[in-house]
Amino acid sequence: MKPLHGLERKLLLSLKDGGGLLEDIASRANMNIDQARRAVEWLKSKGMINIDEKVHNKIEILEEGKKAVEKGLPERRLLEILKRLNGEAKLDELSKAFGSTSQEFSAALGHAKSKGLISTLSIEGKVIVRLKYDQELIEESLLRKINEKVLFFEELSEEEKKALNGLMKRPNYLTIKPFKIINISLTELGKKTAEAIKEVKEIDFLTSDLIISGKWREHKLRPLDLEAKTPTIYPGKKHPVQHFIDEVREAFVALGFEEILGPIIQPAFWNFDALFVPQDHPAREMQDTFYVSKLKEIKIANSNLIEKVSRTHINGWNTGSKGWGYNWVLDEAKKLVLRTHTTAVTVKYLADHKVSEAKVFSVDKVFRNEKLDPKHLAELHQIEGIMVGKKVNLRDLMGILSEFYKILGLRKVKFWPTYFPYTEPSLQSIVYVEGFGWMELCGMGIFRPEVTLPLGVKNPVLAWGGGLERIIMAKLKLDDIRELYENNLGWLRKVPLCL
Amino acid sequence: MPVITLYYDKLKSLIKGELSEKDLLDKIPYIGVTLEEATDEYVKIEYNPNRPDFSTIYGIVRSLNGILGFEKGAPNYVIKSGEVEIIVDESTQIIRPFIVGLVARGINLNDESIQEIISMQEDLHEGIGRRRRKMSIGIHNFDVLKPPIRYTTVSPEFKFIPLGEENEMSMKEILEKTEVGREYGYIVSSFDKYPLIIDSLNHVLSFPPIINGELTRLTPETKNLFVEITATNLKADEDALSIIASALSDMGAKIESVKIRIGNSIKITPDMSHQQIEVNRKLANDLLGLRLDDKEIIECLERSRISVLSKDGKLIALIPRYRVDILHQVDLVEEIAYGYGFDKLTPTLPSSKKTGKYNENLLLIRSARDVMIGLGFIEVMNYHLISQKALYDFTRRKAKKMIKVENPKSIEYEFLRDNIFPSLLIVLSKNLHEEYPQKIFEISKVFYSDLRAPNGIREDYHLATAVSHSTANYTEVKSILSSLFLQAFNLSVDTIPTYHPSFSSGRVAKIVSMKQNIGMIGEIHPLVLENFRLRNPVSVFEINLSRVIDIVKQNY
Repeated sequence: MKPLHGLERKLLLSLKDGGGLLEDIASRANMNIDQARRAVEWLKSKGMINIDEKVHNKIEILEEGKKAVEKGLPERRLLEILKRLNGEAKLDELSKAFGSTSQEFSAALGHAKSKGLISTLSIEGKVIVRLKYDQELIEESLLRKINEKVLFFEELSEEEKKALNGLMKRPNYLTIKPFKIINISLTELGKKTAEAIKEVKEIDFLTSDLIISGKWREHKLRPLDLEAKTPTIYPGKKHPVQHFIDEVREAFVALGFEEILGPIIQPAFWNFDALFVPQDHPAREMQDTFYVSKLKEIKIANSNLIEKVSRTHINGWNTGSKGWGYNWVLDEAKKLVLRTHTTAVTVKYLADHKVSEAKVFSVDKVFRNEKLDPKHLAELHQIEGIMVGKKVNLRDLMGILSEFYKILGLRKVKFWPTYFPYTEPSLQSIVYVEGFGWMELCGMGIFRPEVTLPLGVKNPVLAWGGGLERIIMAKLKLDDIRELYENNLGWLRKVPLCL
Repeated sequence: MPVITLYYDKLKSLIKGELSEKDLLDKIPYIGVTLEEATDEYVKIEYNPNRPDFSTIYGIVRSLNGILGFEKGAPNYVIKSGEVEIIVDESTQIIRPFIVGLVARGINLNDESIQEIISMQEDLHEGIGRRRRKMSIGIHNFDVLKPPIRYTTVSPEFKFIPLGEENEMSMKEILEKTEVGREYGYIVSSFDKYPLIIDSLNHVLSFPPIINGELTRLTPETKNLFVEITATNLKADEDALSIIASALSDMGAKIESVKIRIGNSIKITPDMSHQQIEVNRKLANDLLGLRLDDKEIIECLERSRISVLSKDGKLIALIPRYRVDILHQVDLVEEIAYGYGFDKLTPTLPSSKKTGKYNENLLLIRSARDVMIGLGFIEVMNYHLISQKALYDFTRRKAKKMIKVENPKSIEYEFLRDNIFPSLLIVLSKNLHEEYPQKIFEISKVFYSDLRAPNGIREDYHLATAVSHSTANYTEVKSILSSLFLQAFNLSVDTIPTYHPSFSSGRVAKIVSMKQNIGMIGEIHPLVLENFRLRNPVSVFEINLSRVIDIVKQNY
């Protein structure tokens, strides 16, 4: 035999205590009427239930009947008035007190008289009405029952049937309609099957008690709508920019680089002069670089280094360069700037350590005096890597960059020549970002001798650097760079971290 | 960066060989410029400021012809000795001491070529000229002039008809009333007298660096040009003249020199002789990772339009005068790479025994971040620069020892923040319609005035967090604070009642760990909430992570 469906099992169990109407059984089995109909259909085809259809006469109350339930039957209203008049009244006085039409009054009088509720006698030509009986009438109790629940003619007692006949004669009180009743009961097979079902209670949740006591075995977890939508929840989360910064750090460390940190506020000397950027270079102008007032006289470097750097600018010192050919001014180098690139930190590191070999990196904030718009920010993150070694060369730099990009998932790279004031030769890397296309990323090159020789660094220094936000924008498909730092919580909560 | 538009028709007429448009587009990046836009008629390219010779199509074609192998070695520009003199008055020396010039004869001008000249002039003014402060150029119709030319100074009341005007104006008026006067007037306005270039009949050529006279305007009928360049720096002066001489020569003019007379000394300009630098073959091969022999090196340089002279086993590069960017042997290395072709350089990987390493401090900061995220907080990132309003006024803090940038483009970003929490309040105020509770944190550098610091400004890392919802309170953030310190730093913290104008009194404490004051915690004052237009209570703590890191390091 086919296993029983959950609904069938429930219906059989609810029929064990006796049959009944479909509606009652459905509510006993805790299912809706459609589920019950379906189960009945299936069980019937399996021969487990009998369905007994009978037509009964259903009594329905009509408008006047309802009014009578509310206000009382006309004869009851007459009795009440009579009681107020001390149980006796002249007919004309009573009629007046009853109000209503004379037709209604005489009907009320007639009903009261025929039921023996009152008596009338004539004294000196005037009719006197007297109260005789004041109990609840069977008509009244029947009418109330009909108003309260579904009642069938077949259920009534003989006395009630008589009273019903009387009420039926009153206009617009009651009506009787045929009504199909489905009575369901178990067959022998049904009874046997129901007996065989082990009763399993359905539960919504497992509880600690059920697990510990082992009683979970007698329960069944109510199946859930597994496809239903669930409430949205948000995790605590890294900012997407920070997430990418950490990825970049991991790429550098994987390639054997060590992270260095340094101040954001730098003397122009480290940000520009030590990098052979002439003092009248447009990038040093107020429109492009943030300057901060000095709070005290500062020492930018030892005087020997300052001398070498200044002479390199003026005539090349002994770097083999012609220099820029202008009057270098110390005060200009002492101005404090918000670093425009992390190379300020890198070049100070080279000066402090005078390394012959090194692999260092940083991912940190840099500043440009820009008006914020969809393409420009005043504060950005810069990626920067430096490798110093006796035999390192431009092709090595291209190789390291390619590896670096590969770790970040950027596999297609091109290199074009370009210009930076402090590297020679200089290259621009162009990278293919999936879903965006080719974009310029890191610039790179070998530090000029005008930069390295005054610092005391003899070996070639390979350097590359670029903006971090550009890559994130491309990966997140943002049109407006400012969105990254809007801190819209809705966006931060929803933006996926898999860049 | 400067941009120049190149029309294919013109390019094809100048390139000395066959070249399809597609090949041209592929090759353009390999002369060191960036393609900005390409249409059926023209390409727009952006060139780097170290190559002012790219300010005309002629300069770019010189390079292309070399890279494509259609021409090689340094172009030779013949300068005929001329008789025109510029007599320099002593009074110019304190204002704008240098002047050079040339005469260009037999040029064929049309509207298009006049436009080319003007746009070259503008690019040179921007770049080498540093927006005319350092150097400025006047190009004139030579035939209306009567030499000798005089470079002198006159009173600001001196009048002439400036270019583009119909009536005479005094130089003072020019500075006040013309657009160029208002833009560049500051360069000369502090002097009692203004510089002026006039001919022997006192006709005005120009009022450098502001404007030319109307008299010498170029028209398509102009056949002979006179060029004068004034400057505050001699190198800039001569560099610009060499670039103009090369371009005019490429346009078909015959260049004649001009004599510059200062007192008894005479200088002749332009000097177009090649710069000579010895080629360092080892440096080139070392830096490029190649093994080129002399022949190959010479070929490469010639493709870069540099000639090479072999002398006593040395290679001497003869560099055209207009290549003002070549300062050092290392620049020749790059020229060799251009000639070799950057597209032919293949990447290699250097071997190295170095191992990677994270910064220790940043690792501790990372732990703090991980714990905050584990506690359900969203990380936000704000700018270091913030407005006075948010940093001080709205938070009711006294604005003392503020660190202000001198020249901000917006008052929203004017001060370097010394605390993060004002930024967090801004974030909450921008997210009133997002779901609550809102739990955010930020880790960032902040800035304090501190005369003991090398620059007078200390930079410390801070961590700040804010919680906002209908019942946000002190107890909640204190639990978070304690959890953070225990989990990330294995430290306990004490909270000692204090006063702070941003917080409600009785609901604010100092954070102390290992006897050091390391931050603040409390419920934000309702006045502050009102200032930021916040509608829910906010509780906050902010700690100095740099100090915490020091404590952690001392304890291990």
